[in-house]
Amino acid sequence: MRILVVGDGKVGHTLAEQLIREEHDVIIIDNNDAVLQRCEDALDVLCIHGNGANARTLMDAGVDKADILVAATASDEINMLCCLIAKRLGAQYTIARIRDPEYNESLALLQHETGIDMAVNPERATALEISRLLRFPFANNIEYFARGQVEMVEFRAQEKDVVVGCPLRKLNTRLPEIPKVLYAAVEREGRVMIPNGDFIILPGDRVHVAGEMMTVTNYFRFLGKHSLRIKNVMLLGGGRISYYLAKVIVPMGIRVAMIEINPAKAASLSEALPHVNVIQGDGTDQELLEQEGLQQMDAFVAMCDRDEENLMTGLFAVKQGVPKVIVKNNRVGYADIISGMGLDSIVSPKASTCTAILRYVRARVNGEGTKVERLYRLMNGKAEALEFIAREEDPYIGIALKDLQVRPGTLIAVIVRQGKVIVPFGGDHIEAGDRVVIIACETVINDLNEVIHR
Amino acid sequence: MNRLLVGYLLGAILLVEAAAMAPALLIALIYGDGDAMALVKSILALLAVGLPLRFSCKPRERNFRAREGFLVVALSWVALSAFGALPFVFSGELPNYEDAFFEAVSGFTTTGATVTTHFEGAPHGVMFWRSFTHWIGGMGVLVLTLALLPKMGGRTSHLVRAESPGPTLSKIVPKIGDMAKILYVIYLVLTMVEFGLLMAAGMGPYDAAIHAMGTAGTGGFSNYSASVGYFQSGWIDLIITVFMLIFGTNFALYYRIFTGGWRDALRSEELHWFVGIFVLATGLITVIILPQYDSWVQALRYAGFQVSSVMSTTGYATADFNLWPVAAKMIIVILMFIGSCAGSTAGGIKVCRIGMMCKQGLRAVRHTFQPRKVQTVRFEGKGVSEGLVQETATFIFVYVAMVLLGALLVSLEGNFDLETNFTAALTCMSNVGPGMGAVGPVEDFTGYGPFSKVVLSLLMLAGRLEIFPMLALFHPAIWKKQ
Repeated sequence: MRILVVGDGKVGHTLAEQLIREEHDVIIIDNNDAVLQRCEDALDVLCIHGNGANARTLMDAGVDKADILVAATASDEINMLCCLIAKRLGAQYTIARIRDPEYNESLALLQHETGIDMAVNPERATALEISRLLRFPFANNIEYFARGQVEMVEFRAQEKDVVVGCPLRKLNTRLPEIPKVLYAAVEREGRVMIPNGDFIILPGDRVHVAGEMMTVTNYFRFLGKHSLRIKNVMLLGGGRISYYLAKVIVPMGIRVAMIEINPAKAASLSEALPHVNVIQGDGTDQELLEQEGLQQMDAFVAMCDRDEENLMTGLFAVKQGVPKVIVKNNRVGYADIISGMGLDSIVSPKASTCTAILRYVRARVNGEGTKVERLYRLMNGKAEALEFIAREEDPYIGIALKDLQVRPGTLIAVIVRQGKVIVPFGGDHIEAGDRVVIIACETVINDLNEVIHR
Repeated sequence: MNRLLVGYLLGAILLVEAAAMAPALLIALIYGDGDAMALVKSILALLAVGLPLRFSCKPRERNFRAREGFLVVALSWVALSAFGALPFVFSGELPNYEDAFFEAVSGFTTTGATVTTHFEGAPHGVMFWRSFTHWIGGMGVLVLTLALLPKMGGRTSHLVRAESPGPTLSKIVPKIGDMAKILYVIYLVLTMVEFGLLMAAGMGPYDAAIHAMGTAGTGGFSNYSASVGYFQSGWIDLIITVFMLIFGTNFALYYRIFTGGWRDALRSEELHWFVGIFVLATGLITVIILPQYDSWVQALRYAGFQVSSVMSTTGYATADFNLWPVAAKMIIVILMFIGSCAGSTAGGIKVCRIGMMCKQGLRAVRHTFQPRKVQTVRFEGKGVSEGLVQETATFIFVYVAMVLLGALLVSLEGNFDLETNFTAALTCMSNVGPGMGAVGPVEDFTGYGPFSKVVLSLLMLAGRLEIFPMLALFHPAIWKKQ
């Protein structure tokens, strides 16, 4: 497909990188020459210099033949304008990043009037992600499939965990009462593996387990990880994520302290969020954090603009004994450097935006086959979890899985049939209308038919 | 430097060259001149080096940086020429290796300067290979390799940038591999059209193929010592005049005809400069040489062909411009510097650089009496960045410096006069072919000794790769391990 990306920022660049890997034709528009030069050197794309909201520039980039236009500049207004013009000039679908809370309230109207097919709000999505982690602090990451019936949770295995050091096939005989979940993927020393029956989990592994929501909850209760309930949270930085997050978690009965350095911003935050304890001060100052009661907090969330500050204060909070620490970090490289230092919950608005857009793109790659319903990228994109709905005309319907060819590097994780969650074995089969969750490791999948053959 | 990656790519390129010798081998078998064995031996030599390189070097990191890109391009051009020389040696056409190397470099760089002396009775297969090097070298071997190889990772643009002439690489489609394919398809179609027209004008298929490939690569090797003048045909002159200009034009324009129509393609400023210079030079020369010819039409025919040949840096000849008045010869020398458009198969400084620098010159003049006026150099309707202006000025300086240095080095032998030595260096640097004096259109380069031949070979490579990849080869820092 021909995809135009307007704005070669963090999101634009990462997105373009992934889209090229999926063999799309990517054209990048930006008005900064230096950025474009770097982009042209690094990526196999066509770079166009100019303003993305300028019709001439868009025509130069071939917007009339474009399948998808993604507007990801720093400005919401330019993004909307860009989509509006692109749609008039003949772009098939348009995606805009819109972040300002003020526009968010009238998003439906704006979307309708400007012809935006999809609006992405990375900050709001990140805030929702963090709120889930606060609700289930034992998890590093949580993702939902099949309208929330299936849950996939990432946790770091520790020495004392009972599942460590035992081949997975023997777990049920050794611990008969352990709730049955699927071990979907394991990341060890930067490598992603799809475990089989002989796989042994080692301490330090990042394990993804999937299953029905209650089963997963029971599983973690069994492991002794489901004890903490979060009542007090400290948020570092009063940006848009903090705002959205406070809006979500205050009604959940969580007490929120928010630290913001800019007095004017702090004042307007305290006006907009009456139930939040807004503190004006430098959140990277350790003394201030201690004075405001960091040690008594159940969770600490660092969401400053600078990744480095987030990581350092996050590490400080870990040292101070805060049970749950979540940091915002957009640079993939940093996550690898600090891995194993106790900071496991890392959220990235950039990554979640890319994921959301990729899901939209994949779903449009082939109008014919089974569309990607849901896409979730694990471990910095090294693996993916995808959800499809099986259709009646697909060739694998009704055939036992053990008689089907499954593509290497993929795993049929879960099948959901009429609200019932099945962790499939060789004797199970797929029926029309089933929701099927696939784990794919280092391959790109657009269609369920690419995974299973007769 | 990622040596494994460089080795892997070099191996791949040598294999492409082995495949490229196949058509010549076929011709040799058809005509049966006894040169088939020479080609077979050359192919075996290529396979013997290329296969182990290609399959023993397994690069872990397949991403290019500028360093590997430039190095691969420079090295592969040297290697291509070194192996491309083998058929000449094995067949006994040019038994001295330095002569064969000069001929191969001249072929791949599309210069067309020759040390071959006897044409009539030369084996068909080897002569076909000699012209075929023009055809591959014109569009670029790495471009061909990219078009053939499966995707090589994101940073291959460094390769194409180092190989395709012009100040900036202007992509026409998002994927570099697709672009390489499109360029070769346009190239192939245009070559076939010329081949057909030359046949229609009365050439035999073998002659038509040799001259179509020589024109397409803007090379200039002919299988007759009198070059295109051998045919004594107005139609053939006209066809080749027009096609030399066509292959001297930026290929991106032909793609733009498909996407945006004629109007869009004709809007190119570089094209206006190119056609303008051609018309002006042809007009001037026609007037200057008129006394030597019977009629206006004759003068125009020979002026047009020679100007087209020199500007496109092809080097075919229908008249000996050595015998023209000195004013006409001076125009020819200036045209040798200018060359053709960026993104074509031709050499020289390139018309767009000249155009940009003319505007920059005017700006500098204006700046002396109106220092506060803010001025931008505009080209192709867009402002040119200061960085590019500076880069272009540097390029032209280094270009001229290389020509002078080359002329000095070949003067050391002391065999020839100033005119011969200077134009020999210039014609090699600009990939034209013939020079003036003792290296004129009806002469050849056999008078130079081995040292001068190596110097001229290096100049040809430097000119084809636009200097910097070649110079980088001599910089110690590029060879360091990463």
